[in-house]
Amino acid sequence: MRTAHPTRPEPQVADGAPLLALRDVQVAYGGIHALKGVSLEVGKGEIVAMIGANGAGKTTTLKSIARLLPLAAGSITFAGQDLGRLDTESVVTAGISLVPEGRAIFPNLTVRENLEIGAYGHRDRRAMGETIDDVVQLFPRLGERMKQEGGTLSGGEQQMLAIGRALMARPSLLLLDEPSLGIAPRLVQDIFAAVGRIAESGTTILLVEQNTRLALAASSRAYVLRTGEIAKHGPSAELARDPEIRAAYLGG
Amino acid sequence: MTPGPRVSPAARRLLLAAGVFGPAVLLEVGLDRFVADSSVRQLVMTAAINVMIAASLNVINGMAGQFSIGHAGFVGLGAYAAAIVASHLHLALGGGDPTFAHSLVVVPAAVAAGAAVASLAGVLVGLPSLRLKGDYLAIVTLGFAEMFRLVLTSVPLDAKSGVAGAIAKLGGQIGYSGASGQGVPLYAGPLWVFGAASLIVVATWRIKFSGWGRALRALREDEIAASAVGVDPTRYKVTSFVIAAFGAGVAGALSAIMRDGIGIVQPDQFDFRLSFDAITMVILGGSGSITGAVVGALFVTFTVKLIELAQGLDAVRLFQSEHAWLDLNALRMVLYASVLIALMIRRPEGLFGEREPLFARKPRGAAPAGAA
Ligand SMILES: Nc1ncnc2c1ncn2[C@@H]1O[C@H](COP(=O)(O)OP(=O)(O)O)[C@@H](O)[C@H]1O
Ligand SMILES: [Mg+2]
Repeated sequence: MRTAHPTRPEPQVADGAPLLALRDVQVAYGGIHALKGVSLEVGKGEIVAMIGANGAGKTTTLKSIARLLPLAAGSITFAGQDLGRLDTESVVTAGISLVPEGRAIFPNLTVRENLEIGAYGHRDRRAMGETIDDVVQLFPRLGERMKQEGGTLSGGEQQMLAIGRALMARPSLLLLDEPSLGIAPRLVQDIFAAVGRIAESGTTILLVEQNTRLALAASSRAYVLRTGEIAKHGPSAELARDPEIRAAYLGG
Repeated sequence: MTPGPRVSPAARRLLLAAGVFGPAVLLEVGLDRFVADSSVRQLVMTAAINVMIAASLNVINGMAGQFSIGHAGFVGLGAYAAAIVASHLHLALGGGDPTFAHSLVVVPAAVAAGAAVASLAGVLVGLPSLRLKGDYLAIVTLGFAEMFRLVLTSVPLDAKSGVAGAIAKLGGQIGYSGASGQGVPLYAGPLWVFGAASLIVVATWRIKFSGWGRALRALREDEIAASAVGVDPTRYKVTSFVIAAFGAGVAGALSAIMRDGIGIVQPDQFDFRLSFDAITMVILGGSGSITGAVVGALFVTFTVKLIELAQGLDAVRLFQSEHAWLDLNALRMVLYASVLIALMIRRPEGLFGEREPLFARKPRGAAPAGAA
């Protein structure tokens, strides 16, 4: 997986400083307070998981990082840069790509077009071609379906396409929103193996999952979100042994 | 690769250009000579105008997936602006019969004015309504088009000063027939009308298959996902709306000054019926398909005319004189509507869906379109 961006230099963070930091982030939908002050950090090169029940605010957190939702309070910094001032387009340019929840691909565009539009932020022909090759290596199934319309792929393949599309931007930080949702178990394995390989190539990952077992196995640290607040956080291996977590999310 | 008799890319482009714009040149030379009946010539030119109207509306309603129901307002603005500019230039050039040489000055100026005014209105209407989520555009465009018409018709014609005086000069309900009242000078021959129609079709084609057009289609399919790759929804929607308004302005401008036209611009030519006709053309052909917009425009133009002609047949006249209660005009609309309903039941995605069947530019799988 080639990760160097054609124009943007690798984001620099001081030793010990996080790549991404949320401080007391609050988001409201009209009167509904979806995030009541979320603080979290993701270090460069880490896979960090965010787990929590349906409606806990996981998607809202990722959308607010991608600047798809306005912040009611708090701040988000990425490599020392305040994201609060940026629009979504600039966030992508800064190196953050979101894989939205629920197979959000473009059904009437071909697989290749879906991938190409992922490079919208830099439009660098060479990087585009290289990343398409890398994505095909990562997900060989996509390679066989380049000319097919996105909507004709299976659910798992669409998820692969959505991840591939996000990689086309050569992000430094990849935000994954429930990549296992509604996907055949066999393909879930493939997708999580790919997530591992993406991380090995140096891309930082914030992984949102309802499938707690998978998420804790794939990550080094994790945050537990409960009704818009961080209820717990720590090394994933520790959380996996935590009796409370086991009872609430791992079925005992 | 075996070397064979291949056409170089430059030659191909030339051929393509000749194929696209050749007909305009041929019609300029031949239409008046070979078609003696001026009402037929008018019909053919109107078809070209409708192609422009449909192809431009297709950018916003088809490609961008928004819903404008006030396209007639932009066509009307373009028509009035062009009529005013053309008739004043006509006087400045000494009046007389419009000559081809003078048309080289008058037509570009009038079309530019029509397009500029319509585009400006496009920005003013599009910016506030497309920023918001939901279908505000439909309501706002309908309101805009009706406002345009009502402003023209409700100003007292004896107003002398200020804005009201300026609008009164446009003739209210009766219409605008040139600066001297002798009719709008009809400078735009077939070369201009068919040339502009070809240009607009080619331009929207280029848009559809460019990276910009791909981003636009992506936005239509999933706004969140498109934003997530960095496509700014508002910018794309407003830009495509302004492009559509621009095309409508050009179409309106040429309709006002086309040779064999009627020489008067009236508010009622641009009421909601024109907007709905335009929507019909786009939906009938297939939203998003440029081939569809062209075919839809031709179909609507000629079907309406055919029904009109049928109304004039002796047999039909006789029939009506025996059944005086029959309103043939109403019947015409019923017939027209039935044809449309039948078509939409048979092919809900329009004749072509989003495809361009004559040109295999966009390879598509065997899957049905719109399987979302
Ligand atoms: N567009 C919206 N409008 C109103 N409320 C919303 C909207 N999206 C999410 N919510 C509410 O915000 C809370 C968090 O939702 P979400 O972030 O989607 O949770 P999760 O991704 O963890 O399932 C929920 O209570 C949900 O009902
Ligand atoms: Mg969610």
